[in-house]
Amino acid sequence: MEKPGPFKEPGLPRPNKNEVTMDVIIQAIINGILTGSYYGLAALGLTLVFGVIKVINFAHGSLLMVGMFAAYWIVMLTGWHPYAALILVVPMLFIFGYALQGIVIKPILEAQRDVREPTEVIIVTTGVWYILDNLALMSFGAQYRVVQTSMSGQIFMLGDYIFPKAQTYGLITTIVTSGLLLWFLKYTKMGKSIRAASLDRDAASLMGINQYRVYNIAFGIGAAIAGIVGCVLIPFYYVFPSVGVVFDVKCFIIVVLGGLGSIPGALIGGLIIGLIESLFAQYMASTWTELIVYVVFLAVLFIRPAGLFGEKRDW
Amino acid sequence: MNASSKRKTIDTILKIVLAGVVFTLPLWMTSPTYLQILILLFFYAYLTTCWNLVGGFAGVLPLGHSAYVGIGAYTSTVLFMTYGLSPWLGMFVGGIIAAIVGLIIGIPTLKLRGAYFALSTMAFGEGVRVLVENTMKIGPFEINGPRGISVPLKVGTPMENLFNYQFVDKLPYYYIILILLCIAIFITWFVSRIRPGYYIIAGGEEPEAAQALGINVARYKEMFMALSCFLTAFAGTFYAQLNLYFFPKGILSLDFSFELAFIALIGGRGTIAGPVIGALLLRPVGEFSRIYLSAVLPGLHLVIYGLVLILVMLFQPRGLVEPLTRFYNWILDKLSGERKEVKA
Amino acid sequence: MAYLEINNVSKHFGGLKAVDEVSIKIEKGQIYGLIGPNGAGKSTLFNCVAGTYAPTSGTILYKGEDITGSKPWNVCKRKIARTFQIVKPFQSKSVLYNTMVGAFINTANTSEAKDRAMEVLKRFQLGNKWNILAKNLTIADRKRLEIARAMATEPEMFLMDESMAGLRPNEVDETLDEIRKIRDSGVTIFMIEHIMRAIMSVSDKITVIQFGKKIMDGTPQEVSKDERVIKAYLGESYGAA
Repeated sequence: MEKPGPFKEPGLPRPNKNEVTMDVIIQAIINGILTGSYYGLAALGLTLVFGVIKVINFAHGSLLMVGMFAAYWIVMLTGWHPYAALILVVPMLFIFGYALQGIVIKPILEAQRDVREPTEVIIVTTGVWYILDNLALMSFGAQYRVVQTSMSGQIFMLGDYIFPKAQTYGLITTIVTSGLLLWFLKYTKMGKSIRAASLDRDAASLMGINQYRVYNIAFGIGAAIAGIVGCVLIPFYYVFPSVGVVFDVKCFIIVVLGGLGSIPGALIGGLIIGLIESLFAQYMASTWTELIVYVVFLAVLFIRPAGLFGEKRDW
Repeated sequence: MNASSKRKTIDTILKIVLAGVVFTLPLWMTSPTYLQILILLFFYAYLTTCWNLVGGFAGVLPLGHSAYVGIGAYTSTVLFMTYGLSPWLGMFVGGIIAAIVGLIIGIPTLKLRGAYFALSTMAFGEGVRVLVENTMKIGPFEINGPRGISVPLKVGTPMENLFNYQFVDKLPYYYIILILLCIAIFITWFVSRIRPGYYIIAGGEEPEAAQALGINVARYKEMFMALSCFLTAFAGTFYAQLNLYFFPKGILSLDFSFELAFIALIGGRGTIAGPVIGALLLRPVGEFSRIYLSAVLPGLHLVIYGLVLILVMLFQPRGLVEPLTRFYNWILDKLSGERKEVKA
Repeated sequence: MAYLEINNVSKHFGGLKAVDEVSIKIEKGQIYGLIGPNGAGKSTLFNCVAGTYAPTSGTILYKGEDITGSKPWNVCKRKIARTFQIVKPFQSKSVLYNTMVGAFINTANTSEAKDRAMEVLKRFQLGNKWNILAKNLTIADRKRLEIARAMATEPEMFLMDESMAGLRPNEVDETLDEIRKIRDSGVTIFMIEHIMRAIMSVSDKITVIQFGKKIMDGTPQEVSKDERVIKAYLGESYGAA
C-alpha cells in the first residue's frame, strides 16, 4: 500500500528547511487547494452514496481506480485528450456502478430491510474492493503507468506562483461537477427522488419512488464521478492497481470530516485535507503528514462525529 | 433419554478423537513444511477467535486489530533485546499494553455507529503502522522503522530455549500455538455462558433494549475489547519468536487486519467454532493459491477471498458455521440412528 | 409524596418543544394511563423517565429520589422497567435467552437466571415456547416476550409503551388481564396506549397530552367527558379498538 502520489510535485524549490517564507506558504496553500479540489471530487461520490443509500462503500477507492484505468486505456488507445475521454468514461462508469449496486448491494439491503445500516454491506463492498484491485493487478500488472498529454508539465503562472495546468483544470472540473450535481439534486425529478429517498427510505417508496432504482442511479452517479476523477487525475497521477487504496482511506476521512451525505462537506473536507498535507509538508516528511491526517480524523470522530455539515444523529 | 444420550456420547467421542488427532499430529506427520502450514493455520484461528470476542460478541467491526498483534511483537522483542526479559513475560507485558491501548481507543469509538467504528479502527491501525514506520528509536528501545526487527538468535540448552521462547525445530511451536488456541476457544466458550457473555451479545444486537434491561452496553464492549486486545498481543509474540523477524508492513498492515475480519466473518462471527472453521477453510485456499499461482497470477487468492466473502454474505450471512453445523448434526443423526428435535 | 413524580418536565429538540412543562403524579399500585393524539409527545416523555433522553428542564423523582437524567441502565437498576413501542427482541436468540438477559440483573448465576426466566415465561404463557427464536414468533407473542423480558428484571414500576398496538381484540383482552395481574403482584404501571377501550377500562387515572402539553388529568370517566379531550381527538372515535 504505497503512496507515491503525483509524479510532479509543484512548488518552488526550497534550499533550506528553515526558510519557510511567505511565498512558500502561499504556494503551499495553492497546492493544497488544487490537491484538495480533486480530493473533494473523489469524495463526492462516496458522500452521495452514503447520504442516499446509507451504506459505506468500501469499494469506492476501487471505483476510482477503475475510472483511472478506463481513462488511461481510452487515452492510450485513441490518443484523445483526457477530458475528451470523459464522453466514454462517464457512461461506462455509470453503468458499472449501476450494475454493481444492483447485483451485489441490493440483495443485502433487501434481506436486511429493518436494519438501518447493515454491516454486511461494508463487508461485501470490501470483497468487491479486493476483487477489483486484484483483477486489475492480474490483468494489468503492478507497474506504475503514466500518460503523456498536452498538459503534462505545463503550468500557468500568476505572479510568482505556479499553477500546474492539469491540476488547475481539475479544480475547474470539480467546481463544474459539483455545481451540476447540486443542480441535478435540486431541480430534476430524479434528483428530488434521490433526496427524498435519502431522508426516509420508506416514506419515499410510499410516494411511488422506486427505492432500489433510486439507489442504482445514485450509485451509478457516484461511479460516474469516479470516472471524472479518473480523467482529471491521469495527466499528473500514476496509474496502478492499488491506487484506489490511498484514495479510499482519504475519502472516508474527508467524508467524515465534512459530514456523511453532505456535498459541500465533501468539498470543504477535501480542501482541508489538501491544505493540511500541503502545509505540513513544508515542515516534515510526507510520511508524517499521513499520521497528522489520521490524528485529525480520529479527533473529528471523537469530538464531532457528525462532521462539519453532517446531521447530528446519535452517532 | 437413551437415544439422545447415545447421540451425545457419539458427539463426545468424535470430539475426543478430533482432539487426539490434532494433538498427536506431529508424531506421524513430520514434514516441516506441512507443520509450518498447520502452525500458521492455528495462528490465524487463534487470532480470529480473539477478534471474535469484539467482532462477533460485541457486534462491531474492528478493522485494525493487526495493531495489537504488532504491539505484542514489538513489546516482547524490544524488552528481550534491551533487558534480556524472557519473551514469555514480555508477552504478558505486551498483552497489558495492548489492552490499555485498546481501551483508550475503544472508549470513544465504541460509542459510534457500526461504520464509524470500523473506520476509526482502520484509521487507528494505519496510524500505528505509520508511526512505527517513522520511528527508529523510542528511548532505549530500537524500533528500526520500516525495516522491522530481527529477533536475535539465542539457541542453547533446552532450558535456555524455553526461557528464550526459541526452538530449533517446529514441534514446540506447534504445541504452543495449539495450546493458545485451545485457551482462546475455552475462554470464548466460558464467557458465552456467563452473564457478561449474555450481556454483550444482547448489547450487540439491540443496544437500546439491552440498556433498558440494566446493561451498560458501552462498558461491556470496552471490557471485551480489552480482553480481545490482550489475547491478540500474545499472537504477536508468538509470531516474532516463530519467524525471528517482523516488520511494519507485514505485521501492522491493513491487509492483515482485514484478513482476520474476513476469516471470522466467513466462518461465522459470534459463534465459538466459526472463526476456527473460517481459518481452516480459507487459509489453505490462500496458501495454496499463493504458492502455486502467485508467480503466474499475483493477487488471485485475494480475488478468491473477495468472492467467497461476497457469496457468503449474500447467501449465508451468519457464516459457514451454520450449514456446517447442520451437516454435522445430520452425521450425528445417521450415526446414532435417531432424529434430534430441530430448533425452530 | 407520590411514587413517581414528573415535575414540569420539558424536552426540547432544537426549536421543537416535544414535551412542554408536563407534571404527573403517580401513586404506588396505580395503573396510570397516558393518552394523546399522535405526535403529542407521549413516547418522548416516557423516554425522559426511562433515561433514553435527559429532560431539558424539570425533575423526575422516584420514591423521593431524583432520577432526572439517569442513564437507562441505572433507571432499570432502580427497578423501573420499560417496553418499547416497536418491540426489540434479540432476534437471533431464543425466547428463554431473551428473558434470561432480563433476569440477570438480579443474579450473576446462569442457572439461577435460567430458572427465574422460565418462571416468568410460564407466567406469561410462553413457557412452552422457550426454545423458539424470537424472530420466529407471532406479533402477539413478541409483545408478550417484550413484557416478560422486562418483568424478568423484577421491577417495582413498569413503563409500558403501546403494548397492545397491532393486536386483535381477544389478544387485547388477554393483555389487559395480564396487566391487571402485574399490578396485583405489586407493580405500579405507567402506560401509553391508543386503544381507547383498553386504557379506559384498566387505568385508575389518566393524563391527556397534546402538542407536548398536558390538557388534563383525571379518572377515565372524567377524561372521556372532558370537552378539551374530545376536541383533541376530533376525528378519532372513542371506542376504537
